[in-house]
Amino acid sequence: MTSLKRSLASDPYASNISSKVYVRSTKSGKVQKIVRELYLRQDIPCSSKLCTTCIKTAPRDASGNLPPFVLSEKPAGTKKYPQGHYLIPDTNALLNALDLFEQTSAFYDVIILQTVLEELRNRSLPLYNRLIGLTKSEDKRFYVFFNDFRLETYVVRDVGESINDRNDRAVRRAVKWYTEHLTQAVKGAGTKAAKIPAVVMLSDDKENLKKAKKDGIDACSLKNYVEGLENADQLLDMISVVKEGRELRDAKTAEALYEEYFSVSKMMTGVKNGTLHQGIFNVSPYNYLEGSIKVPAFDKSLLILGRENINRSVQGDVVVVEVLPRDQWKEPSTKIIEEETMNKDENADAEEGEAVVTERERKALQEEVKKVHSKSSEGRPQPTARVVGVVKRNWRQYVGHVDESSVSQSIKESRKQQTVFLIPMDKRIPKIRVRTRQAGEIIGKRVLVTIDSWDRDSRYPVGHFVRSLGDLETKGAETEALLLEYDVQYRPFPKAVLDCLPTEGHDWKVPANTDDPGWKDRRDLRGLQICSIDPIGCQDIDDALHARPLPNGNFEVGVHIADVSHFVKPNNAMDAEASIRGTTVYLVDKRIDMLPMLLGTDLCSLKPYVERYAFSAIWEITPEAEIVKSDFTKSVIKSREAFSYEQAQIRVDDASQQDELTQAMRTLLMLSKKFKQKRMDAGALSLSSPEVRVEMESETSDPIDVKTKKHLATMSLVEEFMLLANTSVAAKIYEAFPQTAILRRHGAPPKTNFEELANQLKVKRGLELRTSSSKELADSLDSCVDPGEPFFNTLVRIMATRCMMSAEYFCSGTQAYPEFRHYGLASEIYTHFTSPIRRYADLVAHRQLAAAIDYEPLAASVRSKGKLELVCKNINVRHRNAQQAGRASIEYYVGQALKGRIVEEEGFVMKVFSNGFVVFVPRFGIESLIRLRDLAEPEPESVFDAEEYVLRTSGSRVVEVGLFDKVVVRISDVKEESTGKRKVKLELVKVGEVDTHE
Amino acid sequence: MRHGEEHRENNFAGPNPAKALPHQNTTPQHYNTTQQPPHTIPMPLDTSTYSLALLRLDGRRWNELRRLTAQISTQASADGSSYLEMGNTKVICTVTGPAEAKMTGTGGGAGDKALVTVAISIAGFSGVDRKRRARNDKRVSEMQTTIAEAFCETLFTHLYPHSTIAISLHVLSQDGSLLAACLNACTLALIDAGIPMRDYICACTAGSTSSYSSNDEQADPLLDLNTMEEQELPFLTVATLGLSDNVSVLVMETRVQVGRLEGMLAVGVDGCKQVREILDNVVRKRGVKILEGSQL
Repeated sequence: MTSLKRSLASDPYASNISSKVYVRSTKSGKVQKIVRELYLRQDIPCSSKLCTTCIKTAPRDASGNLPPFVLSEKPAGTKKYPQGHYLIPDTNALLNALDLFEQTSAFYDVIILQTVLEELRNRSLPLYNRLIGLTKSEDKRFYVFFNDFRLETYVVRDVGESINDRNDRAVRRAVKWYTEHLTQAVKGAGTKAAKIPAVVMLSDDKENLKKAKKDGIDACSLKNYVEGLENADQLLDMISVVKEGRELRDAKTAEALYEEYFSVSKMMTGVKNGTLHQGIFNVSPYNYLEGSIKVPAFDKSLLILGRENINRSVQGDVVVVEVLPRDQWKEPSTKIIEEETMNKDENADAEEGEAVVTERERKALQEEVKKVHSKSSEGRPQPTARVVGVVKRNWRQYVGHVDESSVSQSIKESRKQQTVFLIPMDKRIPKIRVRTRQAGEIIGKRVLVTIDSWDRDSRYPVGHFVRSLGDLETKGAETEALLLEYDVQYRPFPKAVLDCLPTEGHDWKVPANTDDPGWKDRRDLRGLQICSIDPIGCQDIDDALHARPLPNGNFEVGVHIADVSHFVKPNNAMDAEASIRGTTVYLVDKRIDMLPMLLGTDLCSLKPYVERYAFSAIWEITPEAEIVKSDFTKSVIKSREAFSYEQAQIRVDDASQQDELTQAMRTLLMLSKKFKQKRMDAGALSLSSPEVRVEMESETSDPIDVKTKKHLATMSLVEEFMLLANTSVAAKIYEAFPQTAILRRHGAPPKTNFEELANQLKVKRGLELRTSSSKELADSLDSCVDPGEPFFNTLVRIMATRCMMSAEYFCSGTQAYPEFRHYGLASEIYTHFTSPIRRYADLVAHRQLAAAIDYEPLAASVRSKGKLELVCKNINVRHRNAQQAGRASIEYYVGQALKGRIVEEEGFVMKVFSNGFVVFVPRFGIESLIRLRDLAEPEPESVFDAEEYVLRTSGSRVVEVGLFDKVVVRISDVKEESTGKRKVKLELVKVGEVDTHE
Repeated sequence: MRHGEEHRENNFAGPNPAKALPHQNTTPQHYNTTQQPPHTIPMPLDTSTYSLALLRLDGRRWNELRRLTAQISTQASADGSSYLEMGNTKVICTVTGPAEAKMTGTGGGAGDKALVTVAISIAGFSGVDRKRRARNDKRVSEMQTTIAEAFCETLFTHLYPHSTIAISLHVLSQDGSLLAACLNACTLALIDAGIPMRDYICACTAGSTSSYSSNDEQADPLLDLNTMEEQELPFLTVATLGLSDNVSVLVMETRVQVGRLEGMLAVGVDGCKQVREILDNVVRKRGVKILEGSQL
């Protein structure tokens, strides 16, 4: 038997191979030891354009391309390093101040070490992804140097050395190597360029800096480095305060205000055993001290009351909670508690003697408790809970403004660093404590901040200032704020995307020659009388219709959709951008496109009088609106006319118009009514949401008036056929791709969602709301009428809408067929197909349908379930954000339109609290809170009858306000202190009708 | 432009934004620990970093094999034996035979050819998790069949009628390219056993730097994947006959875009030639020793 032991001496590789052993624990708690090889090499380039040796050995990819060298030969200099310098940040530097590195004014020529990248990835994935993004941007010149694979810079961990120390040492070794390498390279080149750039290590670790000094390498703390730059003040604010703050506090040994979080393993076991629960933390919009969290174990969501129980969670965080004993269960509060009124005059700098719960807050909460105890016997208490740990922070960048009162007057002008409060626009986010040197400058501006941390000993989270968007209430700043707040991608399309556009630009035409490859498998429908019907001023026309009688008495109806998938090929830069944007966002004065203008408003848009590629769905339909057969095909069409809803309506109503196009529209109208009836019979819901339109002055585009939208028959004409097309396509792609079809579902709302509304209707009006099926609900909504008040029904519908689940895109393989149902439309299966110009989901559906009819093979990316799930997840979020941004934009402009005006208008009470009520004004589609203290000065006494939903006041003003009551309010505009938004303010004039006699 | 159908539909998109959003984000999420306990050593990067510097997870380039070392005649008691390492994948192979078929059962070459049987045993400690494989593990038996069939074609089995060539493989350590390592170890052991064959069967794996559905146009092919890469990327195992381009084994169990297949295969076949070079050296060294009379 010979020995299997390898003699290392004879092995030529031996010195180049090392191994890496690490231990990790898996989710299930197992400990794994992993051994991996490391091949050390000498051909990893330094990537500096100064170096002439590295380029000779630089690697090439499989197709022989040489990745270009990144670091410039003449890097920027600073006072300290006039010869120019390359930066090598360590992990802490990146963790604390990645925002800095994203600046365009400085931080070029940065070397990111593999060691640092690995560490960053383990510490924070979002930061890692941002950094990867940076390394890919060409103008920032970030280079990733794989120091652990390079023989000269590889560092073996010593016995007893901590991994952090080893990594720090690796960073220093790499810095040293770079310095020596560059010196050699420049000297070797022998030219008189001669200036050797310094290689500077950036670190916030004092120990590391000290050692670097000993090793004789250039090193600098972030702060020192930034101070040497030109716009130092601005940049200094961006350094996260975490570290500094901690040092400060350590000295003071501040007392902890909040309870410590459980350890990860304790939370994990708890969640597994069912003793703890995990979910997403949501804050009540009316009461900032009340949060709720939905967990599978309870059908009602868990309430989290008070600062201590909320324990540093912020809206959207994934948290773990512990349910409190049953005797502490409560009803959701009926009181409005707003942060700005509670803790108005706090000093941002005050650190000592700060209590978690201020005296006022405590009082407010105690009143609540009293009330609950008094009638808990028959109340419907909800389980309460407290947060014991945060699994995942969902912090993002927040838009807000500086609380002016927190800035001390004396140093407003000075450059001294001070702490200020930043009030986020989103009321559900707590105030953020920010240290800044530019307090004076950013007052009255919309600013962007991030939260860095929230320690146990701080009442508020600590963050840092990112940038200023502009003055409050200027159109630009407010719009950008809105877009940032809803995470809408609004930057111009990058060059890579524009490169994907057809080279002909606006001159692109459908090829005249039908032998052209573009015509392959396309049906020539240019002869059909096709028209489009859209809102006034519509530029991105993605649908058109036609109808004609067939000899057998049936009708042929076609829906033609812009063939976007012809222009946007899967997997190119344009497709990637569109899939990230997910949807076009419509604001009052602006549209943020999903696709570049050229496509959206010209080449794809089914404009009249020109030939366009389309994707057509064509049905044969009997006069009773039964579908005989359906057919999908790519086509070429020529729209005869682009109508607005109003024009179409006029034409249909005008009996003298007897041309083919009008006749076709009449046919469509007739069929659409029958389709609608069928849908209603099947239990489709007709719900409502307040819809208003802001009229703009055409030249200045200042808002001048608000109009409620009118409903025309031609609107539901288009609507019905779009629904029909969507449903037919959904069935078709599901048949072809049972696992990967992109569909849209709308879940049935849980019964508990309607409990409160049903009870309100019963108590106030004696009406019954049946919710067991969508049909039942539709019928009982129809019966919710008040003969004296036509708007009552709409009000109920608006309120019912808020009890619904949101519809979502999904990939068919992830749900069982019965779950596909669209509750609101009462359709078994549904997708989005009809607006590919502005929705990415439709584009995916187009590709799948094209594959289903064998027009082209299916791209791999829309064939993989995992990939599609990611797409769905993203577009669901984008879709929701886009809607919210749109509504927020309308809200803002309604406020602007009413600026300086005072109107009296009718409204309805939608919600009653013990110290206020919410009024909805249909004329402007606004709803707003009227607090007791707004009624009169001093604040009137009040009695709140929670059973009857009535609030009676006495004393300084006597009124009785009940739910659903009609009231008259005076509308004016005020600048809301808390959010810095101009908002409408409502004042109660009287309860009841407007007196017309006076 | 937006139509009513959307408004109708949007009505179900939940309540007004400024107001409560009870349905937003309420789907329960899986527990994931983002906070690493402080003592664990950071996990290395994943395969997505390849494009940053054209370096793989272990520092290799796209067309580099791992260290491949082998010995031959490691076990005197066997008719032929070998020990082979491809990176951290370590395999022992022993060959018994050609021996006369046992009378019992169906064993033994039926008719005029020798029967090749392969038995693979994977040690419980060979992987990251200690795991006992079932006796009739499907993956293992498929590997056995693949190897047996490949050598049936290559060995001159017709020289040994009514006999059995039993190959036994022991996997000591697994780090990717297991089938390839087994094939290479078999080749060496069979040569050691002195069984005539057409040529070496040399195997290796080839992969692609981007996963099936990712839209990376510039995916590089990869040679000789380790476990991490096998878990994340599409790959195939290919074996060729000696220096020819004749493919004797080709196994792929992952999805890959057709366009990338050709590149992967070409790199794989090229890798096989490099492997042959290494195996040939091992055999020749052994031959020199035998000639010197110092083999024992």
